Amino acid sequence: MSHSLAVRRAAGSALAARLSELLDSFAADDTSGHYWGDYSDEIFTAVRHFPAREAEWADVPSWVHADLAAAYAGKGIRQLYTHQAAAAEAVHAGKNVVVVTPTASGKTLCYNLPVLNAILENADARALYLFPTKALAQDQLAELHDLCRRLADRFGVFTYDGDTPSDARKAIRQQGHIVLTNPDMLHTGILPHHTRWTRLFENLRYIVLDELHSYRGVFGSHLANVLRRLRRIARFYGREPQFICCSATIANPGDLASRLIEAEVEVVSSNGAPAAEKTFAFYNPPVVNRALGIRRSYINESSRVAQEFLKRNLQTIVFANSRLHTELLLTYLKQANPHSPAQPETIRGYRGGYLPGERREIERGLREGRIRGVVSTSALELGIDVGSLDAAVLAGYPGTIASTWQRAGRAGRRTGGSCAVLVASSSPLDQFIVRHPDYFFGNSPEHAFIQPDNLEILVNHLKCAAFELPIRPDERFGEIDLAEACARLAEAGYLHHAGGHWHWTHEAYPADTISLRSVSSDNFVIIDITGETQVIGEVDFPSALATVHPKAIYLHEGQQYHVEKLDFQERKAYVKQVDVDYYTDAVRYTQVRVLEIADEAQASESVASRPALRAHGDVLVRSQVVGFKKIKFFTNENVGAGKLELPENEMHTTAYWITLERPLLESMPFSISERQSGMFGLLHALESIATLLLMCDARDLGTAIGERPPSAQANAQSDVVVATNFDSATPRETREFFEPNLYLYDAYPGGIGFSEPLFRAHDLLVRQTRDLIAACSCEQGCPSCVGPTGDLVPRAKEAALAILDRLVS
Amino acid sequence: MADSTDKWSRVAALRPARLVAHRAPRLGAPEESDFLAQLIGAGIGKNQYGEHLSARNWFPSPEFSEASPVALALLSHGREEALSRRTRSALEDPSRWLFLDTETTGLAGGTGTYAFLVGIAWWDAGGLQVEQFFMRDFSEEHSLLHQLSSHIAQRPVLITFNGKSFDWPLLENRFTLTRAIPVPRLAAHLDLLHPARALWKLRLGSVRLVELERQVLDAPRIGWHREDDVEAALIPQLYFDYLRGGPAEPLAGVVRHNQMDLRGLAALFGKISTLLANGQPRPETPEEALDLFSLSRFLHRRGERVRAQAACEQALASGLPAAFRPPASRELAILAMRQKDYARAATLWEDLIAHPEDVLRACEQLAIHYEHRVRDAARAADYTRLGLKKLRLLRARPENVFAAGRLTRLENKFQRRLVRLEHRMKNESDAVAAPLLRHPSDAPSTRTISRRL
Repeated sequence: MSHSLAVRRAAGSALAARLSELLDSFAADDTSGHYWGDYSDEIFTAVRHFPAREAEWADVPSWVHADLAAAYAGKGIRQLYTHQAAAAEAVHAGKNVVVVTPTASGKTLCYNLPVLNAILENADARALYLFPTKALAQDQLAELHDLCRRLADRFGVFTYDGDTPSDARKAIRQQGHIVLTNPDMLHTGILPHHTRWTRLFENLRYIVLDELHSYRGVFGSHLANVLRRLRRIARFYGREPQFICCSATIANPGDLASRLIEAEVEVVSSNGAPAAEKTFAFYNPPVVNRALGIRRSYINESSRVAQEFLKRNLQTIVFANSRLHTELLLTYLKQANPHSPAQPETIRGYRGGYLPGERREIERGLREGRIRGVVSTSALELGIDVGSLDAAVLAGYPGTIASTWQRAGRAGRRTGGSCAVLVASSSPLDQFIVRHPDYFFGNSPEHAFIQPDNLEILVNHLKCAAFELPIRPDERFGEIDLAEACARLAEAGYLHHAGGHWHWTHEAYPADTISLRSVSSDNFVIIDITGETQVIGEVDFPSALATVHPKAIYLHEGQQYHVEKLDFQERKAYVKQVDVDYYTDAVRYTQVRVLEIADEAQASESVASRPALRAHGDVLVRSQVVGFKKIKFFTNENVGAGKLELPENEMHTTAYWITLERPLLESMPFSISERQSGMFGLLHALESIATLLLMCDARDLGTAIGERPPSAQANAQSDVVVATNFDSATPRETREFFEPNLYLYDAYPGGIGFSEPLFRAHDLLVRQTRDLIAACSCEQGCPSCVGPTGDLVPRAKEAALAILDRLVS
Repeated sequence: MADSTDKWSRVAALRPARLVAHRAPRLGAPEESDFLAQLIGAGIGKNQYGEHLSARNWFPSPEFSEASPVALALLSHGREEALSRRTRSALEDPSRWLFLDTETTGLAGGTGTYAFLVGIAWWDAGGLQVEQFFMRDFSEEHSLLHQLSSHIAQRPVLITFNGKSFDWPLLENRFTLTRAIPVPRLAAHLDLLHPARALWKLRLGSVRLVELERQVLDAPRIGWHREDDVEAALIPQLYFDYLRGGPAEPLAGVVRHNQMDLRGLAALFGKISTLLANGQPRPETPEEALDLFSLSRFLHRRGERVRAQAACEQALASGLPAAFRPPASRELAILAMRQKDYARAATLWEDLIAHPEDVLRACEQLAIHYEHRVRDAARAADYTRLGLKKLRLLRARPENVFAAGRLTRLENKFQRRLVRLEHRMKNESDAVAAPLLRHPSDAPSTRTISRRL
C-alpha cells in the first residue's frame, strides 16, 4: 500500500486536510532545521482516515419491562444499537453471551438491560459484576446509580472490594441486587465466606465479566479456576448462573469466554454503534544513526506532536507507558504551555498515585474543557468518563492492538472529528507495528490464551475449593483426576477423607496466600533501605533471579533501585534508590531438555528436503543467571557487564520450538559464527512477534537455543540439550550446534498455554518475523529487529533473513 | 531425573503443610475406636443425621447466682436501643440461659473452619450442668449440629466469651452449610468479652479467660486449677492428628479445657452481674479503687450517668493509683457537665490544667464556662491565652508533627474565641467608660464588680 501524502490527502474531509496540514507543518517545524519531507513516508508510516459511520438501530425488545424502557427513554435511549439488541435477546433466550465491542459502543447497556429487567420482574434476582480493577467498578457504579434513581430505587447496587467499610458489608450482602467486585475480592473475600452471601448465591441469575480480554495468561488461568469455584458454590445453592461477557476486539473472544466459563457462549460481534470521523497516524521518529538504528527519543517526539495539537487549541490526551514517562511528558508540556499564576493549570497529569478527589477534579476539568491537555498512564484507558477530546497521542505502542484502540478512542467518543497519533519507540514491537499498518488495521490477529489446567494454579484453587465446600466424589474440577489430586493433598496434610468427602484440614486460610497474578506463591520481597526500611513490592520466584540479582537496576513505579543484596534463603532483596542512565539485563545460561513431544510437523511445507521441523511439548528448563549487562537508556548501548554466582533454577514448562536441520544450515553461504549469530537474532525477533500474537509481555516467554537430541522420539529424555543466550563468558565461536532447536518456552512453571497456539500459528509467526527483520532500515541489525549490534557478528541480520526465507518459501 | 516424570512431585502447592508430619498408626480395633469416649466418659448421641459423642457432667462450682434485671439490661443493650418485652422476659428467666464455647479447627473463620467440639452449659440443681458434643470425624457434624440446635431451642439466651464475633458466626456458617438444619434463632446473646475488657483491662492488661479466672474469680482459692491445660494454639493440630489416627489422650485434654472454659464463663457471668447490680463495696486497696473506676467508665458508656458519677467519685476518694487520677478527674468532669453540674465540672477542669494530656481540653472547657455561663470575658480570655500558649509549646514538639492539622484547627478556634472576647471586653469597657464621663463617681465600683463576676 502506498503512503504518499498526496494520495492520503485526497481521501480526507476537512478534518483530514487539517491533520495533514498539521503533519506537514510538524515535519517542517523540525527543531534541527532538517526537512524530513523526503522521508515523510518513513516518518509517517500510515495515515488512515475513518469516515463517520451511521448507527444501526433496533427496537427495544418487547419483553423489556415498561418501567425499564421508560428509565432508558428518560436518558434519551429509545432505540438500541443492533448489537445491544442482539446481546439482550441472546441473554433473554438463556444463552451465555460474549459481546465484542469497540470503545464507546454502549456495551454497559448490553448487560445492564437484561440484568435490570430480571430484577424488575423478580425482586429476588441477583447479579455479580466482575471488573479487572477496582477503579472500573467505581465507574460503572455511577451509571447504575443513575438508573436506580430513575427506577425509584427498586434495586440495590454496591461495589464490594477492599475499600468497602466493614459496617456496610452486611447490608451489601443482604440488599445488593447487583454487586460490583473484582476477581481478587471474589477469590479472597466472597467465595471463602459464601455462607454470609446466601441471599446472593441462592438467587444468582447473572455473572457479568467486563473487559474479558484482560483475563489472559496467568491472570486468566487463575480467573478460570476462580469461576470453577464460583459455579461450584452457586450449584451448592441450586443455581446455574448465566454469563454475560464483554471484550475488546480480539481474534478469539468466543474461545476465550468458553474456556473461562467452561460452557458454550454465543458471540455477538456486529457493531451497530455510530462512530465519528477519525484519523489515525503512525509516527516513527527519524533515524539519527542509521548504522546503529538509533532513532530520536520518542518521548521528546510525542511531546512535540502533542504540542502541535495544543497550539491549535485542540484538547489533547497523551498516553505514556510508565509513570516515569508520564511525569517527563508532563514536565515538557507544562514548560511549553506556561500559564499565568492567576489561572488554574491547563495541562495536568493523571495516574494511579493521584488521590481520588484530585482525579475526579481532573476528569471534570476535561469534560468542561478547562483542562486542555492531560498526560496519563493506562489509568485513563478504560471506562472513565472524560468527555470527548480532540486528539490522542500515544507515546509508545501500548502492547496490544486492543488497548491501542481503547486509548485512541479517548479522542472523539461519539461525535465530532478526532485524531490519534501513535509515536513509536525503537522497541521491536513498536517498529513492527508502525511498519506493518495492515497488521494493525486489519482483522485482529491478537489471541488471548489461558491454561486453566496448569497444575500449580489448579491445585492451589482446589485447596480453596475444599476450604469452601467439602469435595464430593462425583465432582469435576478441570481436566485432572480429582481423586488423585485430593489424595495427594491429603498426603500433604491439607485434606482428610471422611464420609466419601474430602474436607479441609488446615488452620490456614488458603486464599490468603494465593495471588491471582502469579503462578506460584513463592515470592521474593523487595525491601527499600534508602531511608526508613519499607517493603515496596514482590517478584515471583522465576523472574526474581533475572530482575533482582545483586547489582541489578530494579524499576518500580518509574523509580530506579540498585539491588544491594539478595538473600536467597530468606527470599528478600534489599534495594536502594538511585538515578542512573542505564538498566540491567541479566545474562542467563539456559538449558532446555525436551521431556515429551506433544506434536511435531514440517516447519515448511513446500520444500521436499525437510529443512526444518516444528514441535511443541513438555520441557525442563534449567537456568542460571551468570552475569548481567548494563544497557544505556534510549540508545540501548552496552555500557558494562558483571559476573554473578547464583543458584540454578529448574522449571518444568511447555515450549514450542523449531529444529533447523543440517542440510539447511550447511547450504547457506555463511560462516559458523554468522549462522549462530543469525539464529540468535532470528529468535530475538521471533519472540517479539510471538508476544504480539499472544498479547503477552516479553517476560512471559523465554528463549533458548539447544542441540536437538539424536533421536527425539526414541529417547527424548536421555540427552541433555545445552543452550544459552549470549554472554561474553562463553565465546560463541566455540559452540556449534549440529542441528539446533530454537525454543520459545512459557516462563511459568507448568506452562500457561502459549506453546500449542504458537505451534499452530507457526506460518504466521515465521512470516511476520521475516517481515519485521526485512522491513527494518538498519544495516546490520539493531534492537528493533535482531537485537543490538554489539552482540552480533556483522552478517547476523543477513543470516537470520536467509534462514527465515528458507522457512517461509 | 526420574522424579521429573511424576508431574505431582513438582507442584509447590502440594508441599506438606507441616514439616513434622506426626503420624501414629490408625487405631484399628473397634473397641479402641471408642477409647476417647471412655476417656471422657461420653456416650454416643444418635439422631436422624447419625452419631456423635456426647458427654454430660454436673459441677457443684460455680454455684448458681441470680442476675438482676439491671445487670442483664446493662449487659444486653447497646447504647441506644431498648429491649423488647419478649427479649426481656427470656433474658430474665435463668432456665433459658445457655453458656456456649467451641473448639475449632482454626481461628481464620470462613467456611473451611469447623467446630469439632461444642460445649454448652446451664444452671441446674444449684450447680452447672455441662454437655459437650464431639465429632469423631467430619461425617458426624450434622448430627452434632442437630443436637446443639435442639438445646438452643430450649435455652435461646446465649452467653459467651468472644462468641459474638467468633463462635456464633462460625456456628451460623456450619448450620448454613448443612442446607438442612436451619440456623437456630436466639432470643438474646450476651457476650462477656467487652464488659470484661471494660472492667479489668486497666488492671490486668490482658483479659484472657484464664487470666480473669486467676485474678478476678480468685480460682486458686475456690480450688480450681487448670493443671496440664492444653495450649489453645495447638488445639487444631491435635484434632487433625486425631483424625489421621493419632492418639486420643490429647483430645481428652481438649475436652477438659473446654469444660474449664465453660465453668469459667459461668463464674465470670455471676461475678459481672453481681458487680453491675450492686456496684463495688467501698474499695480497700488501690486495685479495688481501679476496678471501681473501670466500672464507672463502663456505666458511663452504657448511659448510667448517676451511678457512674458516684462510682468515679468514690474511686477518686479511696486511693486510686496516681497514674489514673487525671483520667478519672476528666471522666468525672465530663459526667458533671452532662449532669449540668457546671460548678463541679469547672473545679475539676481547674485541677486538670496541671496535666499535660488534659490541659488543652481543660482550657477550652473553662473558657467556654467563663465566657457563656459565668460571663466573665476577662477570665475566659485568660484561659484562652493559656490554651494558646500550651498549644504552641505542644506544636513545637517533634512527636506532634502528625497532629499538626488537629492542632491548627484547635489553635484557630482559640484564636477566634480570643478575638471575640477581646472585642467584647473593649465594648464593655467603652460602655463603662462612656457613662464615666457623666457619672465619674460610679465608675470604679462598676468595673470592679464586672471583674469579680
